[in-house]
Parts: sequence; structure tokens; C-alpha cells
Amino acid sequence: MIQFNTVEIGYKQALLTINKLELKRGEVYALIGSNGSGKSTLLNTILKKIPVLAGDVYLNSTAVASYSVTELAKTIAFVDSKFDGIEHLSVVDYIGLGRTPYTNALGRLRSEDHAIVDAAIEKLNLGTFRNRETLQLSDGERQMVSIARAICQSTPIILLDEPTAFLDYGNRKKLIETLNEIAKTENKCVLFSTHDIEICLEEKGINLLVINQSKKELELYSNTISKSEIISIGFSLVNE
Amino acid sequence: MNKRTQLFFLLLIVTLIASFVGHLFAGQVKITLSDYWNALFHLDESNTNHLIVREFRIPRAVIAVIAGAGLSVAGMFMQTLFNNPLAGPYVLGINTGSSLFVAFSMMTGLSFLQSDVGIISSALLGALIFGFIILFFSFFTRHHVTLLLVGLMLGSFTGAIISVLQTMSSAQELKAFTIWTMGSLQHVQFDQLPLVILFFALGTIGSLFLIKPMNVLVLGEKSTELLGLNIQSVRVFTIIITALFTGVVTAFCGPIAFVGLAVPNLTKTLFRTQNHSILLIGNFFIGAIFLLISDSIIQLLEATIQLPINAFTSLVGAPFIIYIVLKRLK
Repeated sequence: MIQFNTVEIGYKQALLTINKLELKRGEVYALIGSNGSGKSTLLNTILKKIPVLAGDVYLNSTAVASYSVTELAKTIAFVDSKFDGIEHLSVVDYIGLGRTPYTNALGRLRSEDHAIVDAAIEKLNLGTFRNRETLQLSDGERQMVSIARAICQSTPIILLDEPTAFLDYGNRKKLIETLNEIAKTENKCVLFSTHDIEICLEEKGINLLVINQSKKELELYSNTISKSEIISIGFSLVNE
Repeated sequence: MNKRTQLFFLLLIVTLIASFVGHLFAGQVKITLSDYWNALFHLDESNTNHLIVREFRIPRAVIAVIAGAGLSVAGMFMQTLFNNPLAGPYVLGINTGSSLFVAFSMMTGLSFLQSDVGIISSALLGALIFGFIILFFSFFTRHHVTLLLVGLMLGSFTGAIISVLQTMSSAQELKAFTIWTMGSLQHVQFDQLPLVILFFALGTIGSLFLIKPMNVLVLGEKSTELLGLNIQSVRVFTIIITALFTGVVTAFCGPIAFVGLAVPNLTKTLFRTQNHSILLIGNFFIGAIFLLISDSIIQLLEATIQLPINAFTSLVGAPFIIYIVLKRLK
């Protein structure tokens, strides 16, 4: 779904090289690397916010650069590390905004849009706070609501920028499990940056994309890799 | 739409009709219902009451609805666009732009510019130019109060230019302009109404296409783009619609302060939603009702005190804004 072919990314000077890599649908990829190693830069490059320095990133064999804003919104859904909530904006209205790329000029949700919103709410068990204001939710609940909004965008790809950064242990684990489940059941390609190495290793079937700190390259591992190996590759520390 | 919203809409429709009818009968001269009937369907040009109905009462009530609704809707768009509860056409200097251009056209002595179309075009152009100036400055600041200060400074700056213009104009032109700046709903004549209604209708149709971008823009500009909307065109279109409403209202009524700032805040508090289709209707009704009631009070007090509409809306609006500032921007 997402293909890299000797891509160099960064702001003006190269931060990271990605040789040959394809991220597939139905899989979850955890992007791991030290601060400043290029995790956000990589996500922003896929989102067409930053141009590539060399090579090309392809979504479904079409270069990202040739995607229009609307096409991109139908291909990638993005979730930020934090959604602060908005006064008077209800959960169901917020999740419904995920349908924006598909609604007409007046933005009205059709019955099939409502059905998609309801299905996402049910899938993530958000029924109890459907009509609550987004401002009144806890950080964990808001992150789940954001993921529901992303699901409603009906895109083959979901990108998340450190989605667990502001959550407690229980909610981190729950969120990563949810991402794993969504990728498998909805056949989506899910890519998220994180520092929660342990949870990603415990959870079955999560692929690890580690930014090799000495080579400045992105490397793909299955989660049979050990924590100490990841740390020595990604954080240039040898764990004793 | 939940029960609460439906109830509010019902209440607002009833209140709008009541305040419109109340406004028609609020003037100092006693006019009966049959005068209204005859003035509309069996006009007798020698009957003073008939002329009052056609030339004063009806245009004044219609323009109160249009001005109140137009300024409030424009204010709502600006508040969402700039993500700032203190934004509005008056405080951000959109009115000021209209005033400056109207001053130019009234005091140049060119008859073309002093015609209805000349004044409307000037007011629209001024609103549009100042709208884009504010949009330009908004790229440099994310801070609520900074943008407001820029708007106020634009106001002072154009105020100074207008003063210079006034010293150079004839006594007659000066008088016409001074009366215009006080703001009034009674300058519009019956035969000007179609033009005003036309511009207002254009703005309203345009507004419908802003509902979707506004709903998304609440999430921030980054999310707006990621949800597939072109943020540049959203900005430009919002400014055009805002300028259209503000320009046409300002051209006919002069600058009217605070309506565009206070009403959108009040509407949001009442309806407790970010759904702009509901907010659009809410602002339309509450803005119209607010100006109808304000102007009715002005007419009832006319025998004792002559209040310009601009003074009245400031008297009511300014304390409300102070309340919002203290509550929302502690």
C-alpha cells in the first residue's frame, strides 16, 4: 500500500533513508526511533506536508506528490498525538466529520454516512458517550474517539503520530490492541510512531519499523526481535 | 436535531414574527392595521399614514432583519475562521473599510459614486480589502487579542484618513457623511429594498456553502486540509461572504457596532453546538430579533431621546463583550 524506493526524507538536508520497503494492508507498523530521528518527518512526508529529497513515496503505485488534497483525504486518515476536545462539539458530530471527503458541498451526512459512523462507534464501544461533549472526555476516551473518526474516513491507510504519548499504561495497551484489531478486521495499513516498545513486542503480529541511529536508515523487523536489540539499533545504547 | 434545538427554533420563529410586528407599530405616529393593508394593496398617495408605512415603517423593519441577520452571520464566520470568540466585522475593521470607501465616494463630489450603486460598490470593495488585510495579519499571529488590536489600529488609521477627507469636503457632503456614520435603519427607501434583498440573498446562498468548511475548520487548519478541503479557498471564500454581508449592511445603515460580535457568542451558548447549519439559522434569527427589538426601543424613546442605532448596540453590546472576555479569556 505504501511503497518506498530509495527515498531520502528531511527538511532541506537528509535525515533518513528508506531503501526498498512496502507497508501492506492488514498490517500494523510501529515506528520506533529516538527523538529527532525523523519519525514525524516520515509521517509528514507520507501526508505530502514535506516534499521528498530524493526518490518517491508511492501510495498504491501512485506517487504521493501527484495526489490532490481530496484524493489524499480518501486514502490516508491521520490521528494526532492529542485531541484537546472542542467546546460544544459532541462525540457523534466529531466522528461524523470523518465523512467530510465524501459529503456533498453542503456537508450533509446521508443515511449510509450515519451507518458508517454508528458502526465505528459500536466497534470501539463508544456508545455510552456518543452525545457527550468532546471537551468532557478523558485523554484515553478522546484518543479512541479520534480513532473512530479516522475509521469513518474509510481510508486504506491510517497514520498516527505518537497516539499513546499522553495515555496511562492501561489505555496505551488498549489503544495498540485496538489498532492491531482494526488493521486485521478492516484490512487497513496502520502506521503509528511510538516509544512503547514493550507493548508492541507483547502484542501479537505488530511489525516494528526501527530507525537505525548509526546508519540513518529505516529497518523492518517482526516482533520476535528483542527489546535490547531494538535499543541497540535505534538508540545507540548497548543493553547489558 | 435534538428536541432542545427544535424547541429553540420554534421559539425563535414566534419571537421573530412578534418582534417584526411589534417593530411595525413602534413608531411615534399611530398607524393601524388597516393602514398597513391599504398602503400595500390600495395605496392612496395623499394619505400621510400610507406614505409612512411605505417609506418608513416597512423598509425600516425589513432592513432591521437584514442588518441583524447579516452582521451576526458574518460575525459567526469570522469567529470560526480566526478561531477567535472576539472576532467580528466591527472590531476587526471590516466596517471601517466600508466607512473609508463610502467616505471617499460621498466626498469626492462625483455623482456616479454618490448613487446607490456607487455607495454599495464602495462599501463592498472597502469591506473586501480590509477583510483581506485582516486575513493577511492573521497569518502572523495566533493570539486572540493581537488580531483585535490590529483591527482597532486599522480603525484609528482609517479614522484619521476620514478626518482629513472631511476637512476637504463641502458642508453638504460633510453633513451627509456625518449622518451616515451615526448608523440608522431609517435611511433605506422602499424602492431600494430589492437591491438590498438581492445582495442579502446572494450572501445567504453563499453561506450555505460555507457550512461544511466551517464545521471542519473548528478542528483547526491542519485537520481541515487532512479532511480534504483546500484551506486557501476556504479562507478567501469566507472573507468574500463576510464582506458581502458587512458591506451591504454598512452601505445602507452606516457602521453598526457589536451585533456581529455579541450575537454569534450568544447563539453558540444557547444552542451548545458546533454544527454551523444550526448556528447559521440561530444567528439569522437571533441577530434579526436583536436588531428589531433594539430599534423598536429606539423608536419608543424617540419623543424623549434620539439614540442612533450604533450607540444603542454599543450600550448593550460592550458590557456583554466584557463579560465574554472575562469568562473565556481569563
